[in-house]
Amino acid sequence: MSAVTVAPSTLDLFCVGLNHETSPLAVRDALVLDDEEVGRAILALRERGGATEALILSTCNRTEVYARGAAIEDPRAFVASLLREIKGMDLSGAEGRFLYTYREPDSLRHLFRVACGLDSQVLGEPQITGQVKDALSLAVKLGGSGPVIERLLDAALRSAKRARTETLVGRGPVSSAYAGVNLAAKVLGSLADKRVLIVGAGEMASLAARHFHEAGVTQFMVANRGRERAESFAATIGARVVTLEAIPVVLAGADVVVSATRSPHPIIAEAAVRNAMRIRKNRPLLFLDLAVPRDVEPSIARLPNVFLHDLDALGMLVAQSLAQRHAEIPKVEAIIEEELARFLRWHRALALKPTVAAFRSHFERVAREELERHKGRFRPEDQAALDQLVHGIVQKLLHRPTTRLTRAGEEKADGIARIDAIRDLFGIEGSAGVERDDEPDAGTEGDANADRNPR
Amino acid sequence: MSAFIPLLTTLLPVLYGLAVAGYVRIYASEPRPADSEGESFGHHWAPLMLRAAVLTHLLYLTSRGIVEGHLPLASVYDFLSATGLSLAAVYLYLELRQGIRTTGIFVLPLVLLIQIVSSAYGADAPTLKPQLQPIWFELHTLTAVLGYGAFAVSAIYGVLFLLLYRDIKANRMTFFFRRMPPLETLGRMNVTAAGAGLLLLGLAILMGVGWARLAGVSLLSDPKTWLTIAAWLVLGFAVLAYYRLGWRGPRAVYASLAGFTTLILSRFATDLFLQSFHTFR
Repeated sequence: MSAVTVAPSTLDLFCVGLNHETSPLAVRDALVLDDEEVGRAILALRERGGATEALILSTCNRTEVYARGAAIEDPRAFVASLLREIKGMDLSGAEGRFLYTYREPDSLRHLFRVACGLDSQVLGEPQITGQVKDALSLAVKLGGSGPVIERLLDAALRSAKRARTETLVGRGPVSSAYAGVNLAAKVLGSLADKRVLIVGAGEMASLAARHFHEAGVTQFMVANRGRERAESFAATIGARVVTLEAIPVVLAGADVVVSATRSPHPIIAEAAVRNAMRIRKNRPLLFLDLAVPRDVEPSIARLPNVFLHDLDALGMLVAQSLAQRHAEIPKVEAIIEEELARFLRWHRALALKPTVAAFRSHFERVAREELERHKGRFRPEDQAALDQLVHGIVQKLLHRPTTRLTRAGEEKADGIARIDAIRDLFGIEGSAGVERDDEPDAGTEGDANADRNPR
Repeated sequence: MSAFIPLLTTLLPVLYGLAVAGYVRIYASEPRPADSEGESFGHHWAPLMLRAAVLTHLLYLTSRGIVEGHLPLASVYDFLSATGLSLAAVYLYLELRQGIRTTGIFVLPLVLLIQIVSSAYGADAPTLKPQLQPIWFELHTLTAVLGYGAFAVSAIYGVLFLLLYRDIKANRMTFFFRRMPPLETLGRMNVTAAGAGLLLLGLAILMGVGWARLAGVSLLSDPKTWLTIAAWLVLGFAVLAYYRLGWRGPRAVYASLAGFTTLILSRFATDLFLQSFHTFR
């Protein structure tokens, strides 16, 4: 699908920010804005920067300031100064390299890419969509957003939803522990009634346990060399604690074994697995060996109905999944271009509203005046029919030009020039502006020209 | 009603063809996450087409039964058509029970092929052979044919199980891997279809034995009967092992495939090499 050419628009939207690619974690951490700080920043952008609308997206991986209609000559310097004021971090010197600036149309496209997860540290991760939604809610609550930014965010979120449902950009595991959960579900089906034995109580074991817990597992056993640590870890997932020596005994009762210890030698031997398989009548048993060096003897992979996946194997699944996500980027970009083009059509139609309304109003006023002038020449009982007739003629005469005008404005880059020509031709006063309503024909001449302030 | 039958004969392959097209589309499209909204068009119309095809198939066979005065099992093309219906109906039952549509592509093209052959060459209904005429012998034949269909579906799921098992063991996240339901589900579908086949073929064997006793025919010298009973026992063991002995995995699947292979071999062996009254030539 070819990219849609984005015709010039009058959004005047800039984006200044930093993310995981341009700045270290310490800087990003220091610049996370809470709700109150977002409120202060929006107020400053509105009052000191003259922005008509503003939005701030602040997560652990990015802080970005979006503003439109601002009378700010150097947005980067303005935002750097704002962040210094609010967070006390000076980004005006060498640290200024952390900041990037986008102007139209790149600022629009960047926002869509962020919402779709294309700009995320983990490509296609879904949390960012929720964070963009939250940023919009906060901007609405704090009076920062207006009709254009709300519509823009709506389009960006629609792109994100389409990207999630129409492409594979957010699919497949991106961590070894999660790949293990996916494999377990592929072998065993529903995990809700399955028992998971976690060997080890370190970070990897804890991450795997959390993923299994999220997948619906409720029955855990934890085996660890240190009893105290095992008990503390077991308490977090409601697990039963067993000793390492008891593993051959409890193995038969487990459906999945996750092993992530620092033992220099394998702690799960083939003989123990053979015995367990005999006791469990050969029901499938999945081993996820997340340890280096490995905790499980590799020879068990040959046993029927025993599935062994070590870090290399799980890493391959993750690599396949990431490659698949990367391959989906062009599809997501095509969705972004479609939604962006649709948004810009809507925005151009907004600019047309005052002209179309004035155009109609002009013809209807002329018709009304003529009717009034010739009122005495007709019988009173014919007045209603006459009004209807004249109104009908005006509507029919205007239908084609207004339809063509609207279409030209929406679809063609020179639409604004055509609008100006129409205004000049019929002597319609005022300039094109932006309405709050979404209905292109709803405005009237009197209220149509103001660039509405945000709520 | 007899004028109605040629229309149904033509309509059946068309409906199965549309259903197959839908299931191909389902298989070709990437599986969606459980929480995603909306599904492709194929996800909606393929199952509808399949339901329409199965109902039309039932109507077709019933109409022919009424017009011809006996169950429509007089020719090899009739047998094919009844087997096709059995395959489609058992598949549909499993789909409804498990909510899985990505395996339709492995069953329904076979049904389509069978029905195309049956519709193309089975137009002229021959007279039913005398030995097939008693009603419960007709029922014996019908249940046997339906049983064969169910076992064929079971065998297809058995093969799918083994292919997925191999992919998981080898850590291959292939196109096929992504579309298949969990291994455990495929195993259950394999044994459920085998269970249905076991029931139907069991009824067929009972009715056949009952008819033989009444007709004074000795089954002792009929190899097909013995081979079919042997296959039934093997399949019965596979189903029993799954439910009673807790067998899972390739061993259980191999047991059901062994039963199906015995069944097919008994059919070919008796038709091609052995003397058996079951051939009805």
